[in-house]
Amino acid sequence: MANARAQPPVLVAQGIGHLTRNFLREVGGVFWFIVNTFQETFERIQKGRVPFRATSFFRHTERAGVDSVPLVGLVSFFLGLTMALLTGYQLQRFGTERLIPGLVAIAFTRELGPLLTGIMLAARIGAAFTAELGTMQVNEEVEAIEAMGIGPLRFLVAPRMLALFFLMPCLSTVSNIAAIFASSLVCKAYFSMAFPYFLDLVKDSLLIRDIITGILKSFMFGLLIAAIACYRGLTVKGGAAGVGTSTTSSVVTAITTVIGFDTLYNIVYTTFYPT
Amino acid sequence: MSTPTHMVEMRDVCMQFEEKKVLDGLSLKVAPQERLVILGQSGSGKSTILRLILGTLRPASGSIFFRRHEITRLQRGRLQRVRQHIGMVYQYSALLSSRTVSENVALPLEELTDKSRSEIDKIVDEKLELVGMEDSKDLLPEELSGGMRKRVALARALVLQPELILLDEPSAGLDPVIASVIDELIITLTEKSKVTSITATHEMDSAFRIATRMAMLYQGKIIEEAKPEEFKQSKNPVVAQFLSGSTEGPILEGTLDAITKK
Ligand SMILES: Nc1ncnc2c1ncn2[C@@H]1O[C@H](COP(=O)(O)OP(=O)(O)OP(=O)(O)O)[C@@H](O)[C@H]1O
Ligand SMILES: [Mg+2]
Repeated sequence: MANARAQPPVLVAQGIGHLTRNFLREVGGVFWFIVNTFQETFERIQKGRVPFRATSFFRHTERAGVDSVPLVGLVSFFLGLTMALLTGYQLQRFGTERLIPGLVAIAFTRELGPLLTGIMLAARIGAAFTAELGTMQVNEEVEAIEAMGIGPLRFLVAPRMLALFFLMPCLSTVSNIAAIFASSLVCKAYFSMAFPYFLDLVKDSLLIRDIITGILKSFMFGLLIAAIACYRGLTVKGGAAGVGTSTTSSVVTAITTVIGFDTLYNIVYTTFYPT
Repeated sequence: MSTPTHMVEMRDVCMQFEEKKVLDGLSLKVAPQERLVILGQSGSGKSTILRLILGTLRPASGSIFFRRHEITRLQRGRLQRVRQHIGMVYQYSALLSSRTVSENVALPLEELTDKSRSEIDKIVDEKLELVGMEDSKDLLPEELSGGMRKRVALARALVLQPELILLDEPSAGLDPVIASVIDELIITLTEKSKVTSITATHEMDSAFRIATRMAMLYQGKIIEEAKPEEFKQSKNPVVAQFLSGSTEGPILEGTLDAITKK
């Protein structure tokens, strides 16, 4: 690729150019993948037919959603516990323990709930989607579906995307509730706050806006994770090893994208609604 | 543009995978109700031809017609509709591994027709019986042998009553009796239901049983095309060597020397 005589700065520039190009190609790939999936699904709906079976959708929601509740709940519970404890002792020095409930509630509804859930779903479900579709791709199953005249995007991808799209907000909510509940336990045990008082403090500090922000974000995360996972799955090349590489890369890409998107969202949000 | 009276027509098709040229100006016509058998060495591009006809691969150049439709130019929606008239049996069957045999066969009916559950079940049973797989209805593909999978794949390909079926090595991996049954089934289909078939194979017995016409693919082109009786008598050295299975001849000329020297 690189010219043998090229100077180090040129090589660095070439390297950066190469990375940028690959990055943009991936972003474009996922973007068009989502657009095509929507198109294929709507074409099907226009013909007056269901794009995919309800059973197929519910199979994915069950696997991705119901089965993820323990993991998401447990991790969020422990994180809420830790957060309340650590901040609690700091705040106690200034006599402001009553800020703990609001702090945990806002941090989770706006930020940590969706983010944590996104990361966990990317690892748990994104990986499964990629491996599953990747194996189908390698075994020519996807091609066979296409050859029958069935659109693989609406048949395979759409139910998965829709499942994660609707599940992410639900699981984020589970995460929020688990964390707030954990912090209420800490507040009761260490800072002797009664539950009703705790709840009042939470209610006082939470704004509807924070909750909506968190939910909106969750929807987007769900869509992104599913799109990246399915895209990686359907573009697998190179047999069993290829499925492995793609699965790893799917998880890494999805997590990075979720965090990146979150940051972007926060920047835009705080620019327009500074408080 | 001339309107083809053919079921399938390929004109000057070139196809390459990265650097490797697989098809090099291939032209081929298939008339309705014909049973064309494409012969060729392993790796010569037989499966590639079938994929091009289905449009799951796009040629580098040239055009491919299925009846009046130019496969190479169709939009996605149209292409999907056209494909419903073509049945394909893949070389490695390509059954959906998470669905049972009957679910696999029912899939095109469920997705592409408005038939009721009971109608679908009836058709599925009928097609499975046709290939002698009615006893394995509820098994998963991984519980079947290669030959059994092939037969299920054939049942799946027939379920929408296609006008054209593409068969990639239909009798490879089948025992001689079942292989004959499948061959006969292919013949009955064209005679009774007026289906056209294109079969890629290198099993000679089966090829001569099925074919109403044979074509030899060599180095990216069809080098010989004839009725089976004439094909047998072909003067073409490549065809003669292929039919006799001898090591003497133009096929493998360079490679063989290299092997014998070692
Ligand atoms: N997806 C692909 N990527 C790269 N090369 C490919 C691909 N598919 C096929 N080829 C190459 O194209 C050539 C023709 O392959 P094809 O599968 O059509 O052969 P074939 O005649 O069906 O062989 P066989 O009788 O063994 O099935 C082979 O040399 C193969 O290496
Ligand atoms: Mg082949």
